[in-house]
Amino acid sequence: MKLVGLILKSARRSKRRTALTVLSVAIAVFLFASLRAILDGFNAAAEASSSTRIVTIRSTSLIFSMPSSHVQTIRSIPGVRDLSWANWFGGIYKDPNNFFGQFAVDAESYLRLYPEVELPPDTRRAFLEDRTGAIVGDGLADRFGWHVADRIVLQVGIPVYGTEDFTFTIRGIYRSTGAAVDNQSMFFHWKYADERSLEKGMMGWFVSEISNPDQAAQVSTAIDQKFANTPYETKTDTEKQFQSSFVSMFGNLNLLLGSVGLAVVLTTLFVAGNTMAMSVRERTTEIAVMRTLGFQARTIFLLVAGEGLLMSVLGGVIGAGVAWAIVDARNFPVSGGFIPPFGVSARNAVIGVALSAMIGVLAGMVPATTASRLRIVDALRRVA
Amino acid sequence: MALIELRDVTKTYRRDTIEIPVLDSVSLSVAEGDFLGLMGPSGSGKSTLLNLLAGIDRPTRGSIRVGDTETSSLSEHALAGWRARHIGFIFQLYNLIPVLTAFENVELPLLLTSLSRKQRRDHVMTALDIVGLGDRTKHYPRQLSGGQEQRVAIARAVVTDPTLLLADEPTGDLDAKSAAEVLLLLQRLNTEFKKTIVMVTHDPHAAERASHVVLLEKGTLVESEKLEVQS
Repeated sequence: MKLVGLILKSARRSKRRTALTVLSVAIAVFLFASLRAILDGFNAAAEASSSTRIVTIRSTSLIFSMPSSHVQTIRSIPGVRDLSWANWFGGIYKDPNNFFGQFAVDAESYLRLYPEVELPPDTRRAFLEDRTGAIVGDGLADRFGWHVADRIVLQVGIPVYGTEDFTFTIRGIYRSTGAAVDNQSMFFHWKYADERSLEKGMMGWFVSEISNPDQAAQVSTAIDQKFANTPYETKTDTEKQFQSSFVSMFGNLNLLLGSVGLAVVLTTLFVAGNTMAMSVRERTTEIAVMRTLGFQARTIFLLVAGEGLLMSVLGGVIGAGVAWAIVDARNFPVSGGFIPPFGVSARNAVIGVALSAMIGVLAGMVPATTASRLRIVDALRRVA
Repeated sequence: MALIELRDVTKTYRRDTIEIPVLDSVSLSVAEGDFLGLMGPSGSGKSTLLNLLAGIDRPTRGSIRVGDTETSSLSEHALAGWRARHIGFIFQLYNLIPVLTAFENVELPLLLTSLSRKQRRDHVMTALDIVGLGDRTKHYPRQLSGGQEQRVAIARAVVTDPTLLLADEPTGDLDAKSAAEVLLLLQRLNTEFKKTIVMVTHDPHAAERASHVVLLEKGTLVESEKLEVQS
């Protein structure tokens, strides 16, 4: 039984208190790692965006659509090499809780512009040839146990698509090779949705492939100028800006989630610090006895600080471990197709554990200093 | 040469702006192998004198020498190391660590040495056998009687084979039977193991076990007498 043994023995002095302290740190690290994972998910989508794709939406909002006449106009803009478009479908699969992204797309051009959607050639062909065909991400297929040739029915979620259910045949399961496309989405033919739409020929957004990434700003401006002072003015951005503006619809997520994380960590720091201080106060006599036996002040400091560090890191490992295990896109498929699947990365888990170590060190610093500076005679007299 | 030499030791405590004298120019010699009883009324400075001998408090004036070491001039760090090697302290309230077993409590001072695990184990078992608790190694303090707790505390005090054993009213919290056992044990440590012991006590019966008794009154040494050792 050397000093580590003493720390372990001491930590078991009040099992309930130790357990609650460990739990509070575990919850803090769990929240921290989870919030970081969400932010990373958003940021990864923006970072993985193509530099040759620009996105055009209605200047008023993403939720308003534009007429199909825009297609020819945009295609005519110099610098635009290719074009595709998509609509948000918003259907319901059995239950509104089974939320996932469903996009009505111009399939051929969309697959051309998004090489990240990886499909075997025969599957691709089967999808393109079937008007009611759809492709789904492998993550989404796993989630609902779907297979190729399965027929699925979506209830209409947005009134513009009428009231009748849509039936699709799964023609392929795609794999995403880049963070710009997630594996939790479903793509089907825009024409199929447009046939039933109450507003024919309306498109949600356009994706243009440009010849030169350096001219993205000029091309974007040129597109928007074409539609200036029309009923359907546009706003064109690079894909990265589009992703960022989509994220900004949720507000300043970095600030919001960062503030929550900071508040949780600070609260835990005070809780752990107070617990350590209480623990030291209760052990005043024991510390005085150990000093009488010849334990150096710095050894007492290490024992108390080590106990705080041990409890905190244990909580950190538990919190990071639980976050690692359960914060996964398969369990929280909230991305809706705009954000790639996110989960707690090894980096965030390690940062979480390091954070717990920092909490442990800071929380133990004052009580450990107090304990090491205790005057033996005064401490013994307090009880005697 | 005496093992302990106190020369004009004065101790004054300060409470806010008031100075409280506790010991006033105390000079005392204790020979190696002695069993000194330190008596006196409450507040006479007995425990303060013992704390000064143990190196857990410092004199305001005067010098304290134990063996070859002038303890009053040592730094805090050096004093802690010196205590670990030379002092065994027995408290009135035993002061065992509640989360450690009897074995682990006795082993505690040995953690500061470079002894191997096996050597530490041998030392602990020897100490516990001496106090008659070799069969209580896995018991926690709450599972022991007061007398047994004090005997574990004595084992902890002797396990490092210190130069000096200091006992602060070791029987003050015990019933008569347990007190007699503890006193007999201390006497045995003195006579059989040649341990030098300084014991603070209120109890004249306890003091009878000592080979010398020193009386303190209002911080001054007022009388010194030699008593017959009762066996």
